[in-house]
Amino acid sequence: MDFFLQQLTNGLAVGSIYALIALGYTMVYGVLKLINFAHGDLFAIGAYLGLTLLTAFGLTRFLGPLGVVIVLALMVMGLVAVVGAVLERVAYRPLRQAHRLSAVVSAMGASIFFQNALMLIYGARYKVYPHDILPKNVVSLLGVEVPLVRLLVLLTSVLMMVALYLFIQKTRIGTAIRAAAIDQRAAKLMGINVDRVIMIVFLIGPALGGAAGLMVGLYYGQINFTMGWMYGLKAFTAAILGGIGNIPGAMVGGLLLGVIEAMGAAYLSIAWKDAITFIVLIAILIVRPTGLLGERVAEKV
Amino acid sequence: MKKMLLLVLLIGLLTVGSALAADPIRIGLMAPLTGAWASEGQDMKQIVELLAEDLNAAGGINGRQVRVIIADDGGDPRTAALAAQRLSTQNILAVIGTYGSAVTEASQGIYDEAGIIQVANGSTAIRLTEKGNPYFLRTCPRDDEQGLVGFKALKDGGFKAIAILHDNSSYAKGLADETRALLQKDGANIVFFDALTPQQNDYTAILTRMRAANPDVVFFTGYYGEAGLLLRQKMEMNWTVPFIGGDATNNPDLVKIAGPTAAAGYRFLSPPVPQDLDTPEAKAFMASYRNKYNAEPGSVWAVLAGDGFRVITKAIEATDSTDRDKIVAYLKNEMQDFPGLTGEISFDEKGDRVGDLYRVYEVNAEGKFVMLP
Repeated sequence: MDFFLQQLTNGLAVGSIYALIALGYTMVYGVLKLINFAHGDLFAIGAYLGLTLLTAFGLTRFLGPLGVVIVLALMVMGLVAVVGAVLERVAYRPLRQAHRLSAVVSAMGASIFFQNALMLIYGARYKVYPHDILPKNVVSLLGVEVPLVRLLVLLTSVLMMVALYLFIQKTRIGTAIRAAAIDQRAAKLMGINVDRVIMIVFLIGPALGGAAGLMVGLYYGQINFTMGWMYGLKAFTAAILGGIGNIPGAMVGGLLLGVIEAMGAAYLSIAWKDAITFIVLIAILIVRPTGLLGERVAEKV
Repeated sequence: MKKMLLLVLLIGLLTVGSALAADPIRIGLMAPLTGAWASEGQDMKQIVELLAEDLNAAGGINGRQVRVIIADDGGDPRTAALAAQRLSTQNILAVIGTYGSAVTEASQGIYDEAGIIQVANGSTAIRLTEKGNPYFLRTCPRDDEQGLVGFKALKDGGFKAIAILHDNSSYAKGLADETRALLQKDGANIVFFDALTPQQNDYTAILTRMRAANPDVVFFTGYYGEAGLLLRQKMEMNWTVPFIGGDATNNPDLVKIAGPTAAAGYRFLSPPVPQDLDTPEAKAFMASYRNKYNAEPGSVWAVLAGDGFRVITKAIEATDSTDRDKIVAYLKNEMQDFPGLTGEISFDEKGDRVGDLYRVYEVNAEGKFVMLP
């Protein structure tokens, strides 16, 4: 039982990061029907920017661990949001009227651009966050020892996701985003500025991705310029699993994916972990082609 | 008038002839400058460029300058095949590289057909030199040699229950299989044998599973990025089992990733790096490297690319020829204990490096790599 609970917490921590990144995929898809393949790289940019800001300002000298993390998170989210908005303006908006495939190709190009830009700016070697920022406490939970930071990662992700959900459901802007997701032309006729809605989506999604990047950097320590690819792929899978275009779906999908991976590694074979994950994905898609919580049928990209 | 013309023609021919003689010797370098192994590739480029500069500044090879022509293999077999084709058209005499075994394998046939000598620097897979490819050599040891050293280290450590972890790359799996076979023949108790997926940052699920098998030691055959994370996450779990690693973990970044506390006591097998050798060649190289790049060279594999460059240029100088067969014959038969940057170098008939290359290293409390006697 201890073993199971331990693996469950392992899976939930990883899954919460997948979920945060998956939100970016799912929001963009919901509004634009575009898979933003550069999203994983925005996540990597978040991780690198966090490291740069941390060392540039010497934040640890003025603030406690919690203060450092909050200030850093706000700065990183702000900057990555700007990068996301610029990406939309430069790479996607000119192709708004073009065939959907063109935008997908543009997204892949942007991904390659970001990845190589990171390599050229920061170098190809692994970069490492300082080790002494976060506390190393271990908490005992139901007889399982869990590092405190692991719980904080999970908690922060869940908080952000709940905040986003409330924002989308309860505010005027959120309503406008939902309207644009259902029918862009009708939304325009209702007096919604769809271009602005898309811009907002490209601010929120990358900001969450950037926050996830920062969390990975702070918690795992090691970042490198190709990390966006692996996490992006997993988060994309999570978005599909939960039903792409559906925000609670991305959260459920991310957490579920993390737990499936951990359980696959725990009780079956570690080497087959990814294969097991994708078998589960295929099985779910056969039963529910729109994903767990998806309602609309996904169109071909 | 006719005489005049002849004279002009003669002078023309002579100048062209001498210009040809002073032409630089062209040597290729195929390295993963982009992709997942870009850090290794960038180091290879830096080292080979540095050695070429130093050589040219000292007068080149018998008066001829050397030019290094670089191609990016992206750490990917398909890209490598393209890079090899491009390099083959560049009139190069020999090529150095590359890092990954599968990547080298994709380029082997192309260089062989073009009659270009290839000196690989990081490709340790056994089969590469078993093909009877006359122009292929390597400065790195083979996996079976490392497997034997790994087996000895595990046996001498007196460990009862052994866990082996690899990462499914052809190199890491080869080494893991090799070591496991030797251990099983010896009757050792292997309680765990499995693979992780590289580049995933979170290995707690694997560590938790491994811990349940209760090993006395873990032998990890993968790369330094994952090894660093494993050590770090192992410490966070308060698990104190000793880790031993293969030579792909010989990179100072391992300590940066794991942190000195988590890395302390970690052991790995590796050919010696020039920092630990007190030969004049190694010292001169280190001085030159620090002077130019103001840093320490990264992994041993990049230094082995430097050794590839040095044996090739040495062979051209000694044979005073650019005839490929003569150069290869020199390397395989006449070159004995050439003072390399990673110890003495000789090659056997297959093109493999001979000699007892491996040392055991340990990370000390300050996070430095210390060669154990």
